[in-house]
Amino acid sequence: MKKQIKILIVDDFSTMRRIIKNLLRDLGFSNTYEADDGNTALPMLKNGDYDFVVTDWNMPGMQGIDLLKEIRKDQALCHIPVLMVTAEAKREQIIEAAQSGVNGYIIKPFTAATLKEKLEKIFERIQ
Amino acid sequence: MSEQLESLISLAKAKELVALLECDQIEMANEIITDIQSASSDALFDKVGVLTRQLHDSLEDFQLDTRIESLANDEFPDARERLNYVIEMTDKAANRTMDAVEACLPIADSFNDRIQQVMPNWKSLMSRDLQLGQFKELCNLLDDFLQVSVSDADSLRQYLTEILMAQDFQDLTGQMIRRVINLVQEVEVKLVEMLTMFGEAAKPLNKSAEQIKEISGIEAEGPIMNASERVDVVDGQNDVDDLLSSLGF
Repeated sequence: MKKQIKILIVDDFSTMRRIIKNLLRDLGFSNTYEADDGNTALPMLKNGDYDFVVTDWNMPGMQGIDLLKEIRKDQALCHIPVLMVTAEAKREQIIEAAQSGVNGYIIKPFTAATLKEKLEKIFERIQ
Repeated sequence: MSEQLESLISLAKAKELVALLECDQIEMANEIITDIQSASSDALFDKVGVLTRQLHDSLEDFQLDTRIESLANDEFPDARERLNYVIEMTDKAANRTMDAVEACLPIADSFNDRIQQVMPNWKSLMSRDLQLGQFKELCNLLDDFLQVSVSDADSLRQYLTEILMAQDFQDLTGQMIRRVINLVQEVEVKLVEMLTMFGEAAKPLNKSAEQIKEISGIEAEGPIMNASERVDVVDGQNDVDDLLSSLGF
């Protein structure tokens, strides 16, 4: 797992972004950036050679599920792994996310250990 | 219909009417019919009158209920403000806590660094294998360590108190949310009153609201408060993992 990879954290609550940022730093990933919804995130992704996206689902503006679909549609972005970290817990939603090409799905509230485990799993698969 | 059907004309009157028509007494026959009609239309007018009065009274009551006015003008904006305030307070508490944690981490790191510095000479001392020069070095390191530890311990205590104090939002936001819950409850009662007042008209509305809910199966819903009581949601990360692995993840 390369620790210097560039990660975009997308969540409308700044505290949640801060928590994820801190947890990622604890795991050795300090090259992190933040966006508060899909509309802010998408142009950042298009211009910023990001390696990884952690996104919430429920956000004003563009929601996380739509951001995921946009990423998968875009030839330049479709290879980026997307980890969803959300309170959305309906089975239908999780299936929708899986079918849209999500790489991992973490339900809030979550623990540092869960985040670590899911990240490791995603990187394992990619390599 | 459980009510017994009542004829609009009595048998005696009908017989009288037939007799009159048979004798060609048209004028008197017409009179009987007019009498019957006016009797039933009088009853109808009475009923319409009663209904009009009821409707009038209901609307009057509705307008007189100043509570509804104050709900719309004051309480709702107030509730919105309260909820915004809850977001603000929880935001502040979370940041206050994280500030303190971030300030504690380097203290823990330097604590560990200093112990690592002292450790080699300390181990030598414990195994009675320490030269005089090393002993002096150890004393200096230990002295330094003790001095710094006093102020570090004090800082840690302050940050921990800060974290403790930052949790006070729970009490305050709890009270605010409780007030909003009371308001919602009151509005619910008013809405039920309105629905009973307008009775049947509200039923089709109910159905369409349900239909809308059905359509939006993947619509964002936010945190689920009663996950264990619902079949359409997962209950925790293990459920998510099971579902995903059943999809071949």
